[in-house]
Amino acid sequence: MASIFRTDPSSGLKIEKASENLIKWNLIAAFATLAVGGLLGLSVVLTRWPSVHLLPLDYYYRFLTLHGIDALLAWIIFFEIALVHFTSSVILGTRSYAPWLGWIAFALMLAGGALINVIVLMGRADIMFTSYVPLKGDPLYYLGVILFAVGALLGFITFFVNIALARRDGGYKRSLPLGVFGMAAASIIAVLTLAHGAAIFIPTLLWALDYLPWIDPAAYRLVFWGLGHSSQQINVSAMVAVWYMTVAFVLGGKPVNEKLSRTAFVLYILFINVASEHHLLVDPVLSTWHKIVNTSYMMHLAVLASMIHAFAIPASIEVALRKQGHTRGLFEWLKKAPWGNPAFSGMAISILLFGFLGGITGVIFGTEQFNIIRHNTIAITGHFHATVVAGTTLAFMGFTYLLIPYIFKREIIWKGFASIQPYLYGTGVALFSIGMMSAGSFGVPRRHYDITFSGAPFSFTFDPSIDLFLSMMGVGGLLAVTGGVLYICLSFGSMIWGKKIEPR
Amino acid sequence: MPKLEHRDIVEAPGVFVLALIFLAVFIIIWFAHLKWLLDIWGVQ
Repeated sequence: MASIFRTDPSSGLKIEKASENLIKWNLIAAFATLAVGGLLGLSVVLTRWPSVHLLPLDYYYRFLTLHGIDALLAWIIFFEIALVHFTSSVILGTRSYAPWLGWIAFALMLAGGALINVIVLMGRADIMFTSYVPLKGDPLYYLGVILFAVGALLGFITFFVNIALARRDGGYKRSLPLGVFGMAAASIIAVLTLAHGAAIFIPTLLWALDYLPWIDPAAYRLVFWGLGHSSQQINVSAMVAVWYMTVAFVLGGKPVNEKLSRTAFVLYILFINVASEHHLLVDPVLSTWHKIVNTSYMMHLAVLASMIHAFAIPASIEVALRKQGHTRGLFEWLKKAPWGNPAFSGMAISILLFGFLGGITGVIFGTEQFNIIRHNTIAITGHFHATVVAGTTLAFMGFTYLLIPYIFKREIIWKGFASIQPYLYGTGVALFSIGMMSAGSFGVPRRHYDITFSGAPFSFTFDPSIDLFLSMMGVGGLLAVTGGVLYICLSFGSMIWGKKIEPR
Repeated sequence: MPKLEHRDIVEAPGVFVLALIFLAVFIIIWFAHLKWLLDIWGVQ
């Protein structure tokens, strides 16, 4: 058994070939989809920036649809499936027990993702990420989403198969290590989320094929957001797991109160799914009681979990650095932290931006009273870019600088560029999100192609200060894309040209 | 839920102080922002 494992010389992780290959290919797919999704995002931001207004109408909605699919869905879920294999076999030091299931999952996700890209680029499904009925896309679009979702579901099921059998083989004793526990929370939320996806996209496919006469738009929205927003909570759990693992790998840090951190992950599982009802606040079918309970009490319990992590992780960093001897005063540890290590800085900037830009605005915008005012403005787009891009994407980018040496056995190339990449990307996304949130406060709508409303029967002029905020969004977007391109070059470049690391 | 113990604060005093500073800054920003929003929306 021992011969099928190699030991990584820097981390001491025992890595099996089958797990290694699954992680590698899921990561490659993640990088490729981020590259496509990011460039589509560039064209979208250059269209929403009124001074540029790049794309024509049809291409704007087409590219916006595909940007959502590639950057929000495919990049993040491919990376998460790589994390599923990393945590459920590499961290536990056991083998992948069902690699065939992992490959079926990968093939389905790849086929589904490719199908969606082709259909949308052909102009047969300009229906946006939400694909609200009665907007109707080509049936193959819905089939692509179903294939991708089923693949992702099988990928997350691989996690449960692996941890169940790893216990038998002594991978862990009583409880899972915290990073694996975090991915377990993500996987449980993923199963619930993807079940919602199946529940709504299968009937919608049948409707697109004319086998069903209609889909109730209210029912669609209710079930869709069980997928659409809850899937962001998979990202939150996976991101927090990555934060804990980064602290452990880079600094050797442990949570100061592990039981508290585990409890916080359980709060995510219990409450975070129902907190996404803010998408439905003006829908007439749900009662006011239902809306208030979910967008207030349930959301606050979920946010309590993030607050616990927000203090637990910096505390574990401080404890680890104090143990290394940085004990002078209150903040020497902060000054001496490895800010030049992109894995650490990516995590630290991700925590900062997720908490202060994404988290705080999420709590504010998610409450009933505020959401009514803000929901259809670009402020919400700013909020979710602060969570999913500045938070999740940046955390995953930082973790990539650890995964490439561990999994691809290659050193990171261009170390100077690598050390500035998280700062460049983080600054860009922060400017971008603040610009959007500020413009949204003046009522600038989300998604809209032309906020000058040219040719409309009624005229409307926004406060002139929105030009400043939308320019801030544009400049931030350009910086973020520069940081993103650098990340893609560093990732693929390190895989190909990075100096080989010899296994022990 | 497990209690946050005194030991947890003593082990990470820097984060404890940072949390207090951030809390104060957040309260200030929040009220400044609220005033700004009320001005934008014309609430009297």
